Amino acid sequence: MIGAALEMTGVSKTFAGVSALEDAHLSIQAGEAHALMGANGAGKSTLMNILGGIVAAEGGEIRIAGRVASIASPRDARANGIAFVHQELALLASMSVAENVLIEDLPRRGGLIDPAAMAARTQPLLDRLGCGFGPQDPVEKLGMGDRQMVEIARALASNPSILIFDEPTSSLSAREKARLFDVIRKLKAEGAAIIYVTHFIDEIFEICERVTVMRNGRIVGSGATPDFTPGDIVKLMLGDIHQADRLRVTPAAPGERVLTVDSLSAGGFLDGVSFTLRVGEIVGLWGLLGSGRTEIMRAIIGLDPIDAGAIALRRNGALVPVSPHEAHQSIGFVTEDRRGEGLLLPLSVARNVSFGNMAAVAGRFGLIDRNRERTLATGLVERLKIKLNSVDQPVRTLSGGNQQKVVFSRWLASSPPIFLLDEPTRGLDVGAKSEILALTVQLATAGAAVLIASSELEELMRVCDRYLIVQRGRIIGDLGPDADRDALLAAVSETSASSPTLSSVA
Amino acid sequence: MTAIAQGTLGHWFTRNGFLLIVIALFLFFSIVTQHFASVANVLAMAHTMAPLVIIASGLALVVFTGKLDISVGSIAFLSSAIAVLLMHDAGVNAPLAFLAALVTGALLGALNGFVVVFLGINPLIATLGSMIALRGVALQLTNAILIALPESVRGLGNATIGGVFVDVIIAAVILIVVHVLHRRTVFGRRLDAIGNGEDNAIRIGIPVPQTVFLSFVASGFLASVGGLIGLLQVGAISSYLGKGMEFTAVAAIVVGGVSLFGGRGTILPGVLLGAFAFTMIANGLNQMSADPYAYKLVTGGLIFIAMYVDALRTRRLRRIPIRPPAQAAS
Repeated sequence: MIGAALEMTGVSKTFAGVSALEDAHLSIQAGEAHALMGANGAGKSTLMNILGGIVAAEGGEIRIAGRVASIASPRDARANGIAFVHQELALLASMSVAENVLIEDLPRRGGLIDPAAMAARTQPLLDRLGCGFGPQDPVEKLGMGDRQMVEIARALASNPSILIFDEPTSSLSAREKARLFDVIRKLKAEGAAIIYVTHFIDEIFEICERVTVMRNGRIVGSGATPDFTPGDIVKLMLGDIHQADRLRVTPAAPGERVLTVDSLSAGGFLDGVSFTLRVGEIVGLWGLLGSGRTEIMRAIIGLDPIDAGAIALRRNGALVPVSPHEAHQSIGFVTEDRRGEGLLLPLSVARNVSFGNMAAVAGRFGLIDRNRERTLATGLVERLKIKLNSVDQPVRTLSGGNQQKVVFSRWLASSPPIFLLDEPTRGLDVGAKSEILALTVQLATAGAAVLIASSELEELMRVCDRYLIVQRGRIIGDLGPDADRDALLAAVSETSASSPTLSSVA
Repeated sequence: MTAIAQGTLGHWFTRNGFLLIVIALFLFFSIVTQHFASVANVLAMAHTMAPLVIIASGLALVVFTGKLDISVGSIAFLSSAIAVLLMHDAGVNAPLAFLAALVTGALLGALNGFVVVFLGINPLIATLGSMIALRGVALQLTNAILIALPESVRGLGNATIGGVFVDVIIAAVILIVVHVLHRRTVFGRRLDAIGNGEDNAIRIGIPVPQTVFLSFVASGFLASVGGLIGLLQVGAISSYLGKGMEFTAVAAIVVGGVSLFGGRGTILPGVLLGAFAFTMIANGLNQMSADPYAYKLVTGGLIFIAMYVDALRTRRLRRIPIRPPAQAAS
């Protein structure tokens, strides 16, 4: 057997004292596609950024075709025959295809760029990828699939021996994906070593010979793809799931319908999503990263545009159709991104609570009454057991868990009937996680309908009354409170080829 | 399919609309005034706009990266003031004094570049600071009084070759050089690449800090060239030199189709056309004996329209084509 095209051994990296990568090893053969899988934060990006020269490794060794390589910059990576196809396309929209492909090394004659040479060097790359557009076309006129091809053409321009594809299919249609896979097969046949980073399990069985799974900065499994089942890979990715205590007793009888979503579709990200939320229930949105969990929530409240579908909310005892913007008025939305959802970190806790509850703190002449503001905030702080010295303290000085509680407190003051919680506990410590989950249960007990998404199954299993299984922007199943860990893991491990027809979606 | 028809018409208009407006204005002034369309007047306009096109073409290099340099008027003033003082007070000969002014311009541009790139200060704020500070320095140096150029160089500003002003020829050469620099050199292509998004440019491996720094140096250098040309036209340094020039230059650039968001626009014909539009309006209204204050209203309106078109164009491009959901299934 010939030596590996790429061999990484003992590679480690810590960020601010936290270990992001520990003793990682990876071996890639020429002519093969090697899948790299792992949940968010597993260390895939760090490992690939080390290879791409974007992040410096601490210790370890990288060998390319048997020779030790030192990669300190993207330029070094390129010199070593490594090329990156980024997930978020790094394209220059206002410039031509040829300029985009050759930007790293524009052909010159007498100091000036040579347009003829540019076209002559770009055209063969486009032909190799089977592209229907030309070197002079502006990139901004191309569709997503074609843009991806431009990115690949750029990677190929440096004639690399190792190509890294970082989640290349996340915004491609089925046809574009098929075309991409054809290109990857062709590159393999030409002897390239391919690292394929993805969240989609079905894809690796389609085009990858080998697979490596990472979790918490470590390699937890590696081998030939046929030796694994999709279920094996999900288990490796998510690790042992400790069944923590359930925080919730599922109510015997479901309440009235409070939100119905019918055939929601949005630009290739969502495809006919339909479901119902009832008063007082907690529904888990369970799917792997990139399955469309976040997109579903964002579409419902109008943060992303929708192409089709209907949303109805209960108002005065009847379900009335509403626009996403109207829905937003009645829905509390909490995400992992505390700043992104409008927490103003430099401002005091009291003032943060006031935003969104201006009517409650307005005094004479519509001016803000500082006493009312403090009373409102103090009441909520006590109710949610937010740990702080004073409500005048800047939110920035609170811990992540307490910041998240301030977000909740803002919503509690206006008590919306529906909550959408997108990874509400991400980045919090274990204790804070439990408190946020307990708070979620309180909301439901008080009569709110809650839709919660999390990457951590054990969290969902502590609070959910029901699970909607999400895959590729569709809801492919609906499991009841009795669903155990294996059933839930199996539900998301279904490859799309073998996925069952829609089971009863309420 | 009205939507599509509107789309293409709107698109065509955003691309070519400005040329139409310039032509229409030119025809309008030609009809309502007697001398506007004469060769002499067109040459006079070219003469008047020489400092503006030079300064605007330098500033455009910064704008291509999506940044801004509003200190160009003050750099023009300070570097010209230094040239005049060297000649007037120190008796330095003219070529050396002019060279000193050009070096000053490049150095002040480098200062801007340093503050923006290495201290990471927002370019608008950074160059607002240098705009105020540098004008202050120049006023202090000149005591804010009028200092005439020495006799030997006083006539240069109105020198002609074959009926064409020398400064018009200089401006034309600079425009062509800057245009080639933008379109046909690695540096120029990098400017557009950075303007398409700095994060992307960094990931591609473009040396973003160095490129942005150089664009500020070029802007400062060309500001001093424009300043010197303006100085020679007037024949003396006055505290008005280059005053408000930064805004006229930004306006000319934007009206000429260069996006303040970065990454798109041209020196030729874009910046030239933009500068010409403002010069033509001033000249035409003057010949119509219009109220001098009307000029400000008209140019303000023109800037507003140009900015709106830029915003429309950018908004449309942000709407990345996403495939229809029907295709997503299967």
